[in-house]
Amino acid sequence: MSQMNMVQAINDALRLEMRRDSRVVVLGEDVGKVGGVFRVTQGLFDEFGDERVIDTPLSEGGIIGAAIGMALYGLVPVPEIQFADFIFPAYDQIVSELAKYRYRSGGEYPAKLVIRTPVGGGIRGGHYHSQSPEAQFIHVAGLKVVCPSNPADAKGLLLAAIRDPDPVMFFEPKRIYRAAKGDVPEGDYTVPLGVAKVVRPGKDVTIVTWGAMLYESLEAANQAAGQGVDVEVIDLRTLWPLDIDTVIASVKKTGRVVVVHEAPKSCGFGAEIVSLVNEKAFLHLEAPPVRVTGFDTPFPYTLENEYLPLAHRILPALLETARY
Amino acid sequence: MSTYEFKLPDIGEGVSEGEIVKWLVAPGDTVTEDQPIVEVMTDKATVTITAPKAGKVLETRAPEGGVVPVHSVLVVFEIGGGASPKAPAPAAAAAPAAPAAKNEPAATAVGDIRETLPGMSLMPTAVASAPAQSNGQASKQSYFNEKPLATPATRALARQLGVDLRAVPPTGSNGRVTKDDVRSLVTDGGAAPKPPVIEHVAPVEVAAPLALPPVTPRPAQKLGLPPPPAAVAALEERIPLRGMRKRIFEGMTRSKHTAAHFTFVEECDVSALKALRARLRPAAEKAGVKLTFLPFFVKAVVAALKRHPTLNAAFDEATQEIVVRRYYDIGIASATEAGLIVPVVRGADRKSILDVARDIQRLGEETKVGKVRPEDLGGSTFTITSLGQQGGLFATPILNFPEVAILGIHQMKQKPVVRDGQIVIGDVMLLSLSFDHRIIDGHIGAAFAYEIIGYLQDPDRLFLEMA
Repeated sequence: MSQMNMVQAINDALRLEMRRDSRVVVLGEDVGKVGGVFRVTQGLFDEFGDERVIDTPLSEGGIIGAAIGMALYGLVPVPEIQFADFIFPAYDQIVSELAKYRYRSGGEYPAKLVIRTPVGGGIRGGHYHSQSPEAQFIHVAGLKVVCPSNPADAKGLLLAAIRDPDPVMFFEPKRIYRAAKGDVPEGDYTVPLGVAKVVRPGKDVTIVTWGAMLYESLEAANQAAGQGVDVEVIDLRTLWPLDIDTVIASVKKTGRVVVVHEAPKSCGFGAEIVSLVNEKAFLHLEAPPVRVTGFDTPFPYTLENEYLPLAHRILPALLETARY
Repeated sequence: MSTYEFKLPDIGEGVSEGEIVKWLVAPGDTVTEDQPIVEVMTDKATVTITAPKAGKVLETRAPEGGVVPVHSVLVVFEIGGGASPKAPAPAAAAAPAAPAAKNEPAATAVGDIRETLPGMSLMPTAVASAPAQSNGQASKQSYFNEKPLATPATRALARQLGVDLRAVPPTGSNGRVTKDDVRSLVTDGGAAPKPPVIEHVAPVEVAAPLALPPVTPRPAQKLGLPPPPAAVAALEERIPLRGMRKRIFEGMTRSKHTAAHFTFVEECDVSALKALRARLRPAAEKAGVKLTFLPFFVKAVVAALKRHPTLNAAFDEATQEIVVRRYYDIGIASATEAGLIVPVVRGADRKSILDVARDIQRLGEETKVGKVRPEDLGGSTFTITSLGQQGGLFATPILNFPEVAILGIHQMKQKPVVRDGQIVIGDVMLLSLSFDHRIIDGHIGAAFAYEIIGYLQDPDRLFLEMA
């Protein structure tokens, strides 16, 4: 065990897997000599050389297209897109090629790779450095989508993602890259994909969240406890495949659910979760499911703290739901 | 602009509460003065209440099926001025000034202190629960709301406990039925926890006892239909017992469970009556009245009642007294779409045939369009039910509680009759008279029937009875 932040834990996972599996390569803008704009790939270039840690031109479509080609030839690429906001030039490669290769080749070409990309706001990044487009990838059949909330999970989930036969979108919440610190087990371990975690048990209201908003949810839950509302907080960890069983078990216990995410409300992943809750736990509901999310606007630079579903916006939703 | 609380008016003598049958407006609707807003049913009639003033409906204070005491607030209106007033903005006021202005009291001399404001109903335990509580047990039993509000979890509980949510008075916020409401109904014994079954009782033959054994009242067990087979479940429709049907249901049950009905049927030759009516009709028409047979029946009944006053009686169960009435308010049973009602010709003994005809014409028109007035309903001393063209050969009318007699009139038909030893074609009508045998002995009832028949066969005699 050693204390690490998210950046260090992800770096640890990459280093470990590159040592263990020579097929693993890293590529992206400034991931080599510079070690990545957030320092996630720091030291990898020195240890593994420019054959396995590749600085690429500024071309997201090219990065992902090349990575897909490597994967088809048997490598295990872990490309980085510098900000999730920049991923859209590669969206066609991801949606039309990556997500479908295994299916359309009858399993012959699994296109096994992991796209790492920092996600989310709260870093004074403005509208091109703060978005949370996870739902747009969850909606694409053939992809798995992960979003860790802490260093230990980040390392274990990344190792599991690299070893997974399917392409995985690995969203790293950059707001907590350095703020989220914790003990990270030494050496090799995985956190299984598709398994959520009840971070805080409670009996009155269920919060479903992930990534950076986990901490805001915990803060709100703490404040709600002071007002007599006992909140259970679930960290999804893997968004797709969704661990709906854990969510439903909790909602059946509490009868009330609040989904918290940074992305805009309409057609955000919260909509899918609420819909599944209605389908699977309808007769247990004591109150309408609620979403506390970003707004249906571009991510605002000056109004960042109003846009994000921070604790001061989650708490009233918890109390209203509990007292409905 | 201000709000106006409209209270359920005193809509009829002795009426203490009304059941909301149907709202014709919803909060947010704009209404004109005298626009129908709600149908309210009392024990006497269903009346349509109109808006007292033009304005906007802010709140309706009772759900459909809810029972509202007279003089309690029914609707809250916003009256005077359409759009919400805006205080004159100070020159070049900044944008944030606008919301602040809303919260300030309007600048009038006395201040605009309101009884209610939009959104007040959102407070838990506010209006929705108050009327239900004030009505106490009585309203709890009669509560019915076609579309109850409840969360899915409450609905699941109600299903599990076999409680009909529609019959649960809500105490939750926004008029919602809570889980506690559902449970309390079960503990109150208001709902059977298990699906009820029909009890089959084998017939038992017993020898007639010399002395009557003491009557043991049957336990008030409610029998429900067994759940239908799945294949036909969708083919069944369940119509809640409410509104006028409920009143009729209760009235008929009470009558049949109290009075000892016996029905006397006799034939009546109406040839003379037909001729008389034909002769008088043009004169009546000149007076603007359509002369039917019914006014003659009313007058014949009144004349017969005067000779047999106990037929115009009622039984007071509380004091165990027979109340003989020396006034003659004759009920005319009338079919309407909503059900049977009985408008009344008041003081029929003091009215001419023409007056009675005029009354009946007006009552008929008002009944037809559902506008019968509360003062025209209830309190009759004797009832006539005209069975019309499909009245059958004869019938056994049920007494209009607490009256002790009712006259059923059947269709006039041409039939062979024997007159002076000859078979001739006669105009014949059957009368079906039901009596309460506890109070009216058989020969009295028969004598009364023949008294009526006498007047109808020789209607000129009615002139002798003219007041």
